Amino acid sequence: MPVDQKVVAAPELVEAVRSIISEVMLVPRDKVGLDSALIGELGAESIDFIDMVFRIEDVVGHRIHVSRWGTFIEERLPGAELSSAITTTIVIEFAERERARAA
Amino acid sequence: MPVVRERVAITGIGVVTPIGIGAAEFTDALRAGRSGAAAITAFDCTGFDTRIAAAVDDTRFDAGAYVEPRKMVKHMSRSASFAVATAAMARRESGLAASDVDPYRVAVSLGAGGMGPVDLDLLLGQATSAVIASRDQETDELSIPAFARVFRERTNPISMLRGLPNLAAAHVAIQQNARGPNNTITTACSAGTQAIGEGLRAIQRGDADVVFAGGADAMINPVGVLGFSMLGTLSQRNDEPSRASRPFDAGRDGFVIGEGAAMLVLERESVARARGARVLAELAGYGCTCDAYRITDERPDAEAAVRAMRNCLGDAGVDMSEVGYINAHGTGTKMNDVTETHAVRTLFGDGRTLPPMSSTKSMIGHLLAGAGAAELAATVLAMNAGFLPPTINHEVPDPDCPIDCVPNVARETRVDMALSNSFGFGGQNACLLIRRW
Repeated sequence: MPVDQKVVAAPELVEAVRSIISEVMLVPRDKVGLDSALIGELGAESIDFIDMVFRIEDVVGHRIHVSRWGTFIEERLPGAELSSAITTTIVIEFAERERARAA
Repeated sequence: MPVVRERVAITGIGVVTPIGIGAAEFTDALRAGRSGAAAITAFDCTGFDTRIAAAVDDTRFDAGAYVEPRKMVKHMSRSASFAVATAAMARRESGLAASDVDPYRVAVSLGAGGMGPVDLDLLLGQATSAVIASRDQETDELSIPAFARVFRERTNPISMLRGLPNLAAAHVAIQQNARGPNNTITTACSAGTQAIGEGLRAIQRGDADVVFAGGADAMINPVGVLGFSMLGTLSQRNDEPSRASRPFDAGRDGFVIGEGAAMLVLERESVARARGARVLAELAGYGCTCDAYRITDERPDAEAAVRAMRNCLGDAGVDMSEVGYINAHGTGTKMNDVTETHAVRTLFGDGRTLPPMSSTKSMIGHLLAGAGAAELAATVLAMNAGFLPPTINHEVPDPDCPIDCVPNVARETRVDMALSNSFGFGGQNACLLIRRW
């Protein structure tokens, strides 16, 4: 699926990803808004995204090599300032694409 | 041109121990002669020869309270979380502000041990279960491809970072913005002492003005307990945990494994003076040697241990007669206590009165890589509070350990100078000297 295609995430996936971000960043779930900037606001670093991808595997039901996250970000957010551009919504979109890939 | 060596001040102390969290609580417990040993509850040790340990009370210790952002905690081993917490406590007590010192002049020197996937969740939940799950049921042989598949499924990739030996010191640096030299010393039971000694050297040779120096360990896990137990070093007094650690007592049968950390803020005298710091003591001397003999046996003549203490006194330029107290390595194994007594008697020579020499391990257990740091902290805190920490559980003196071990009750007295000893498996001997400022 090309990355410019619109992805509509199921509500349970949205909630699952919010829970994952909450667990990985050790912040209360209600602090994880759809527009929260993971790096700029929540303090994420590289290994936190590795942790998220590992946990997303359980949600989508298959292995995801961590390099897929990097590729996704490069294609989805080319040239963007990542500290503000990587939001909860972006992670949800990644999870949705991974789920679609399995299906 | 004569070289005038600047003095090094201890300006902050942080401790996480089985008998107290924070310097004040630890000091009170030392004075009261409290034991931190109890039955192991961290895991089911049914069938173990040793089922007791001196653990840090998790209901009273929250690593997240010392870490920013909080999520950093999950990247830390238990041992690293102790190190980071004690560094934060020591920093707070020192009053050292960010503007007081160039971050590139702030170093970390940490004694660490218990490397690898030692935390329970890693050990049991991931690596071991992957091995079990990947055995061929017919041949009972381990299939590496099957292991890889199971391990990959169950092991969070970031958890591997917790086992790296240098990461505890890195976490301390991240939390304290310490951008100078960052060193990890891994000489087992003498690591904490050597880390503090090497921190002293970092200041003396001009590499740093401030050093976070100490040690941390956390090996109350099945492999740690079984490993030391199989080597015959742990007390098996399972029915009386608080009476199990009894250094210099004739009935001693090994050490009680402990966990925890201590960190000191070491500071160049001129820097401490410039900011008007309150100084707890001078770190005045350091000596270290190696037995170069056997792996766990100590040299019966204790020659290398004697030399470590002698070097330490020489480093400080003091005579042994000025030493008012010795904090012993004092593990409570048959061999250590006899050899250490012999070493100290040799150092002082025939006919000279030895200063009191007690073992804090009787109360806190053996903190392994954290031991030397916790014991130096105990020595400084007790000196400043005006007492000598006791050796508890002292009932029947061992004729082979003819010393004044400050039996059972803390002694209210003033000393101005004290030694602290550590001797590690592998023969590493280290000794520090503190002096009233």
